[in-house]
Amino acid sequence: MREAMIYLDFAASTPVDERVLDRMREVAGMNCANPSSTHAAGREAQAIIARAAGQLGALLGVAPGTLVWTSGATESDNLAIAGGARHRAHRGKHLVSMKTEHKAVTDVFEMLAKEGFEVSWVEPDASGLLDPHAFAAALRDDTQLASIMFVNNETGVIQDIEALGTICRERDILFHVDGAQAVGKLPVDLGVLPVDLLSLTGHKFYGPKGIGALYIADRPGCHVEPILFGGGQQRRIRPGTLPTDLVAGLGMAADVASARMESDLRHLRERRRELWDGIRDIEGITLNGDPDGFPGILNVSVEDVEGESLLLALEPVCVATGSACNSKNQEPSYVLRAIGRSDAQAQSAIRFSVGRSTTTEEVLFAADRYRNAVARLRDLAPEVAA
Amino acid sequence: MSADPYSHLVRELFANPQHAGTVAGGVSVLVEDQGVRVELSASADSGRIAAMRFRVWGCPHLIAAAERACVTHEGGPIAALEIFQRDRIMEDLTVPAEKTGRILVLEDAIQSLGRDLKSLK
Repeated sequence: MREAMIYLDFAASTPVDERVLDRMREVAGMNCANPSSTHAAGREAQAIIARAAGQLGALLGVAPGTLVWTSGATESDNLAIAGGARHRAHRGKHLVSMKTEHKAVTDVFEMLAKEGFEVSWVEPDASGLLDPHAFAAALRDDTQLASIMFVNNETGVIQDIEALGTICRERDILFHVDGAQAVGKLPVDLGVLPVDLLSLTGHKFYGPKGIGALYIADRPGCHVEPILFGGGQQRRIRPGTLPTDLVAGLGMAADVASARMESDLRHLRERRRELWDGIRDIEGITLNGDPDGFPGILNVSVEDVEGESLLLALEPVCVATGSACNSKNQEPSYVLRAIGRSDAQAQSAIRFSVGRSTTTEEVLFAADRYRNAVARLRDLAPEVAA
Repeated sequence: MSADPYSHLVRELFANPQHAGTVAGGVSVLVEDQGVRVELSASADSGRIAAMRFRVWGCPHLIAAAERACVTHEGGPIAALEIFQRDRIMEDLTVPAEKTGRILVLEDAIQSLGRDLKSLK
């Protein structure tokens, strides 16, 4: 009989919360108008969007008017980095980021480098943490924008955003934060944190896919040029008709996250501890990342085991590899390579990520399956010549 | 939904490899290349392969291919090992083209095992 699937890939995407689904159904059923229309139905759609902006603003501690709706974190990252760099290009063309950022960030910097910008990549330490002194040392008089992610999507490492942002503020450098793995899961108070631009997406915190937002601080010099054209919506920063039901869903997801943030974090810490306790004594196992990182993610490598086979042997547990390993792409994780892991360690990496609905039984099953898979694959392998 | 990278046969062979291990007292070869390791061992009797086993450090396709090779050749003539070609096994297991290098490592190991067994005569 086929075993029931166990989903431990919440860092990739989360299920949509029931209250979010209800709100989306309600909005989709009652209003079909274009929110840009000035008639009564359009104004009703605008009001729905304004309510969602208020909910998301409350989660982040910011005014609703500082939020721009996008299709998700990838678009937000693109808009923030490309739009911010181009807006400030007349002042300087030096940019700073880190090699362990998501591809939605690193690829934008690579594109900007082709446009004539100069990019400096700062190195994190072996746990993935960025030393603020090393960050400061990479900044120059002509640096105009820096981008550092809040929570690393592979390792769960949490950067010191307050310290890094303070350094940027002192030098009037735009500071962008990819908050896709942090928003709705960790307290993110942009009323306190010195962040200029922050990307987020709904589906990482129990909202719908296809909707995200970019926070743009309301302060002088903090602006982005549009990367899409075709209408005057959202102050011409991001044109396009807004999907009212998705926006409403994201707003509700923010509401739910605000209400249960503390209990969610306690739950994640417990599940992560149970999982780690179940596998930590395996010979040759390494924790990738900071032990005090985001409790929803546990990334481990193990010696003498091939990653793709490990992933298959773990079924029906759904996890992610550190290597984005499939038959077309067998490159070891660039994130783990950047924090000093060997090709073999990076190739054997597995990212477990737990969520609201994860049970003790599920993580114990996953731990047991992981132990057995490692033992079986080691048995299967030829001994390495001395 | 993205396509399953593994056929039913690959999943079956990977999950239940009946020929994993080593033939005690047999001839064995180890080939390491392309980031994988393949060890084959066999014993022979009257020009035929009495027992054949494998050990592999590699991806599911390679493990399945090694198991398939043992199933196919055990009980057969030693001479078949020397002329083994990867094409049939790649087709049977729907091995993606980008993994050809790994199956070539298995091919090398099988042919090498055939030569070593033949030299025992």
